[in-house]
Amino acid sequence: MSTTIAELVGERRVVACLGAGGVGKTTVAAAVALEGARRGRRAVVITIDPAKRLADALGVAELDNNPRPLSPARLAELGVTGGGALSAMMLDMKRTFDELVERFAPDAETRDRILANPIYAHVSDALAGSAEYSAMEKVYELAESRDFDLIVVDTPPSQHALDFLDAPQRLLEFLDSRIVQLLVHPAFAAGRFGARFFQRGTHRVLQVLERVSGVGFLEDLSDFLLAFEGMSEGFRERAREVRSLLLGPQAGFVLVSGPSRRAIADAGRFFDRLRGGGVPVAGMVFNRVRTWPEGGEPPERIPESDEDAALAALARALAAADGADFPAERAARAAVEAVRGYASAVRRDREATAQLVERTRAGGRFVVQVPEFSRDVHDLAGLAAVAGVLFAESHDG
Amino acid sequence: MTAPEHPLLARRLVVVTGKGGTGKTSVVAALALAAARRGRRVCVVEMGLDAEVPDLFDPGGPPPGGRGREVHPGITALRIEPYEALAEYLGLQIGGRRVVELVLRNKAFRQLMDAAPGWRELITLGKVWHLEQMRDGDRPRWDLLVVDAPATGHGLTFLDVPRVAVAAVRMGPLRRHAGWVEQMIRDTRRTVLLPVALAEELPARETAELVERAREDVGVAVDRVVVNAVAPAPFPDDLPDLDRRLARIPDDAVLPGLPRPATLAACATHLRERRELNEHHLEAIARATGLPVIALPLLPEGVRDADDLIHLAQPLEALEDAA
Repeated sequence: MSTTIAELVGERRVVACLGAGGVGKTTVAAAVALEGARRGRRAVVITIDPAKRLADALGVAELDNNPRPLSPARLAELGVTGGGALSAMMLDMKRTFDELVERFAPDAETRDRILANPIYAHVSDALAGSAEYSAMEKVYELAESRDFDLIVVDTPPSQHALDFLDAPQRLLEFLDSRIVQLLVHPAFAAGRFGARFFQRGTHRVLQVLERVSGVGFLEDLSDFLLAFEGMSEGFRERAREVRSLLLGPQAGFVLVSGPSRRAIADAGRFFDRLRGGGVPVAGMVFNRVRTWPEGGEPPERIPESDEDAALAALARALAAADGADFPAERAARAAVEAVRGYASAVRRDREATAQLVERTRAGGRFVVQVPEFSRDVHDLAGLAAVAGVLFAESHDG
Repeated sequence: MTAPEHPLLARRLVVVTGKGGTGKTSVVAALALAAARRGRRVCVVEMGLDAEVPDLFDPGGPPPGGRGREVHPGITALRIEPYEALAEYLGLQIGGRRVVELVLRNKAFRQLMDAAPGWRELITLGKVWHLEQMRDGDRPRWDLLVVDAPATGHGLTFLDVPRVAVAAVRMGPLRRHAGWVEQMIRDTRRTVLLPVALAEELPARETAELVERAREDVGVAVDRVVVNAVAPAPFPDDLPDLDRRLARIPDDAVLPGLPRPATLAACATHLRERRELNEHHLEAIARATGLPVIALPLLPEGVRDADDLIHLAQPLEALEDAA
């Protein structure tokens, strides 16, 4: 069954944009949310690291970890009328973690102990997967709040496509792990049975860690993990629910790529890993692709026939339009040279993307190509232009 | 363009960083080539999932691994894998290989390390420090180490880890060793951070922030910025408005074998506007950072082999000669 990008935006609850860094994921995510609002939905976009002008345009210049609604004037400027609404927020990892601690800490003392722990202070925004964890946590919170019909999330750039989905699970496994138990309850773990039966190796590990890192570090670490112990049930429940929301029928994943060889290779790897991991990819957006002004493919050769005749004709046309005191022949040569260069860049991008385009379409997934714009797209007009391209193409199928 | 006081290639360690998509790895390879062409013994250090630099010099060659492989005369490439580096480090600290193997094979230990933040960065930088310290007789084994650091943001976090470790670990060998690494990073004569940007809005802005944070928070030297993939001027200097002239040709003009006049004009306008956009952001980067900017040309086909890299190495060398 095929899905268009328009259906995704009109019907799904969550749209997640995935891709390597630097491919314009944030812009695509913002444009998708904007289109949702134009279709009368209450949309929110969660960005990780927006450009200043985009943040200004959306009204989220202040980082406070809560969705900020765009003003009616801004919405009108963006063509949002009727019941549609658009909010935007920038994710603050540390703040998200603090909020989790505040929510799940069994008592005020535990909460304060965690927030004051030196390892927590350094670690909460650096723990492997904490960016992904906090993004998913926000998705869950916004989905639960029922304030929004469409949640668009711009995922953190990562090397592994599945990080976004797997990081929370890994974090939980770690909090449950034997070594953490040992750090938290050293007296129990050192008891006769445990120690002799399965934990000899782990004890050795702790000895080694202690020798290398010094005693104080393990004490702080143990205290930090102990404080987390009572909270892991709450964490686990949420992680499970958000995962099933994201893998369920209400969510859609969109892969974003640029046209460079490197970006295409990364996107291909992402695509394979997502499919291997059972993640349904709805489609792919190729951003900043150089396109031929007439559409389709540029001519194989420019000029196609006799070069001298073509140059002479172009020089005559330039001179006729511009008057005689102008090096029309040299200008004609320079113009043909420039256009030839551009045509070969267009062909290059087509060739670079062709295979992945075909593979994406083969599964009934959509492919949208957003052309390279000759201006920055990080303001309202730019955003509207990107949205225009994204959703114009989907209508012609 | 003023020459920075201390030449790039006179450093021992150049850490190259930049947002994804800026062509950071090509710049790493080009810088290594520039140094090797000047007779330096260069070691390129990568830390991603796959080593990419060897493919730029020698497509299809075997992977370099942790020991390294000479990928071009004077250039050795290696990839640091955190667990390998950790094994090496624990071996040096604890001695017995058997104990180290037991520890590394322990499931609980792997679980702890898989989740724990910072150690990968720390062990990788520790290995870089070790490479910097290596000697052949009375001279360093490597004249220049070029490190392909993680993308910006993460790139600075990477360099900041030793400082954080020194703050978070109260005592012991780990703290002492992190201190040595921190000293190396803050030594402005030995080490420099080289940001790679594109002349576009996002990377330009991020570079300005990176430079500020690198100086203020991390204390690493930054004294020039590389701007990659700068579009060339599309027309001769005396015909800057060629696209507008093309646009004035009536669309029914017959140009045998050529695309329609409007198509010619549209292509030419796109090229001019991209060039102007790049120029605008080149200036903005120079203004915002107050640093010399080295512009590297846009290579239409990307980097395919060492011959393509020379086009990127030359501007880097030119600045060195001026200094």
